Amino acid sequence: MTNATLTGHRGATVAVLVVGGGGLAAATWVGGDHGLAIGLVAFYAVAAAAAYIWSGRDSDVGAIMRAGGDERQRRLDRDATALSGLAMGAAAIIGAIVSAARNHGDIGGYGVICFVGGVTYALSLLIQKRRS
Amino acid sequence: MRNRVGELRTASGISQGDLGTALGVSRQTINSIENGRYLPSLPLALAIARNFRSTVEEIFIPDEEELT
Repeated sequence: MTNATLTGHRGATVAVLVVGGGGLAAATWVGGDHGLAIGLVAFYAVAAAAAYIWSGRDSDVGAIMRAGGDERQRRLDRDATALSGLAMGAAAIIGAIVSAARNHGDIGGYGVICFVGGVTYALSLLIQKRRS
Repeated sequence: MRNRVGELRTASGISQGDLGTALGVSRQTINSIENGRYLPSLPLALAIARNFRSTVEEIFIPDEEELT
């Protein structure tokens, strides 16, 4: 039987950082700020290297970074994801309120984030309810 | 909820890592179970019991208030 701590793919978090960071850097380059784009590439390259090293460790965080692990480690990941979702939701709502006050009711991009978060939560609740 | 996982594992002379490997979970999870920080799922509790040739009830002992 394999050691559950070392399951998963070591490149899982690295791929997220490379794709996300690369996309952000490319968009920044296209936007005209070449200096910031190069800085972002350097930052995400270091972050991806650190993630690759860290994800090879025999630890809870290492297992989560590999998108592997056992039931307890997956629960840790799920709980942390839920908490970060709550924090992002709260930040989006506060941002929407502040933006509305400053821009005559226009909540801008915060509205999209709040909409996506709300719809995703409602759909997720429906799906999870059917499953359990 | 108390449990006898640590006691049974020590009596068997195996490490947390060995038990984790046998059960398909990490050493850290075995440590958390032994210290009462993590309550395993029913399938894992059954696998633990089977591993020690025992029953779930003999290994996981609920506190009084959990029985009411």
